[in-house]
Amino acid sequence: MKRFLAFLTKMDRRWLFLFLTIVILIPIIKPSNMEMKSISSPVKKAYDFIDTLPENSFVLLSLDFDPGTRPELYPQALALCKHLMKKNLRVALTTFNAGAPGIMTEFKDSILQTFPEKKYGKDIVMFPYRAVFLATVTQLATDVYAQYPDDADGAPLNKMPIMKGIKNYKDMALAIEISGTTLFTSWIYYVGDKYHLPVLGGTTAITQLSYSPYVQTGQLKGLLGGMRGAAEYEAMLHDNYQLETGDATKSLNVLNWPHMLVFLIAVLSNIAIFFGKFMPHKED
Amino acid sequence: MPHSLLVLGAWVTGFLTLGIFSFLYKDNPLFKITENLYVGVGMGYYVSLYFFQVWTPLVWEPLKEGNYIVIIPSIMGLLLLSQLVPKLSWLSRYTLTFTIGYSCGLAIPMTINTDLLTQILGTAKPFANIANVGGMDIFNMIFILVAVLCVLTYFFFSVESKGAVKKVSNVGIYVLMAYFGAAFGNTVMARFSLLYGRFDTLTKYSHAEYLYSTPIILTLFVIFFIVKHFMDKKKAAIAAEAEANGEI
Repeated sequence: MKRFLAFLTKMDRRWLFLFLTIVILIPIIKPSNMEMKSISSPVKKAYDFIDTLPENSFVLLSLDFDPGTRPELYPQALALCKHLMKKNLRVALTTFNAGAPGIMTEFKDSILQTFPEKKYGKDIVMFPYRAVFLATVTQLATDVYAQYPDDADGAPLNKMPIMKGIKNYKDMALAIEISGTTLFTSWIYYVGDKYHLPVLGGTTAITQLSYSPYVQTGQLKGLLGGMRGAAEYEAMLHDNYQLETGDATKSLNVLNWPHMLVFLIAVLSNIAIFFGKFMPHKED
Repeated sequence: MPHSLLVLGAWVTGFLTLGIFSFLYKDNPLFKITENLYVGVGMGYYVSLYFFQVWTPLVWEPLKEGNYIVIIPSIMGLLLLSQLVPKLSWLSRYTLTFTIGYSCGLAIPMTINTDLLTQILGTAKPFANIANVGGMDIFNMIFILVAVLCVLTYFFFSVESKGAVKKVSNVGIYVLMAYFGAAFGNTVMARFSLLYGRFDTLTKYSHAEYLYSTPIILTLFVIFFIVKHFMDKKKAAIAAEAEANGEI
């Protein structure tokens, strides 16, 4: 017992890395099929808000993430955008993250591939990357075209059917922010609270807790947190629109195992440290 | 995209990912290569992005169309570079003053409104609706209110922490502990999501379609580490021998 406890406290952490790799790889190779049983309230709120938007409403979807947080945030953005497409809403993609333009193009292609009946310029459009968030979102409150005269490919925006009747925030129904950075708070500050455009969003599991109070106060209309938030949203789309579940659901089936491993390690380590205090030492 | 490019991408991705992961075993030249590549490619990417997506459409194009007003913000931006010349660095203060003034003017009232007033209202407002909600909701309202007051007491340094104040602030500590625990749990979840993303990609690139890039690169890495281990051992033995002979 004493040797086992000593082994636990002094174990080379590289063995843990190896063990963790195996625990993640096995379910990737041999996937299990667990269903999402419960939907959290912030995710349900986000879904309900989008579901009640009138057809043809204009939605800003800001993809402010780079490859570093892509595994968590891309499935969220995809699930939300699929819902927007199913509801026949107009979607303008935008970004203030320098690492995102490539992801945004891939995202747009993926959506148009999933919904072949949707057309670029009519149902979805890409605004170009802008480096300065504050100046851009402040100007969008008065004139969208002053900040975005052209789309990301250089085509004039005011000639596109998707932009018909859109001049500023007053003509928009919703802004969705997908980010793991402080830009998320900025959207609440400057777009939601200042210009009263409803804001909802998706963020990484790490920052999810920081933004939860905004959901309680209604400053955020809904919140997707981490891979779980995306999986919950996919489950609702599957139940209500018969859309296939995506990467988030698949990943959650894998992530259950390393989570259990970490839980086990935390418990064992605490036991080892706790009982280690009462074990007689060699010098004693 | 041609298939050959996808295959090349798979091999590059496999090499770079495993190169970075190799640091988990120990520091090594493969990690150094990938680390330096990351820094260099990242810098090149940002320079080209800012040139083509910021400077060209927001400065160059308007200038060509005769919109000379963009010269003013451009000069203000260039003034920031004066910090590189100590004698002229005072010029950058004009730009900084403008930026700080503009940002503070927007941020201070919004912070007070969004993070303070609305949050205070959000903590108190649900009680106005207490007659129409269930038992669990009432418990949540009271719990949130008590937790907020206890944490605020913990951070209230104008009164000595003893007696009733200490007991209340101790409850505040437990609330904070619960928050940190939840934050740690979420952090673990987030990190594993990122790890899963990489592993999923590596697994995808293990197939014949990508010419088995992951297993081949992994095998080459393992061979490299075995060879390096024996070479290091040999070097250490030679050095020890030289030291014993008094050559060092």
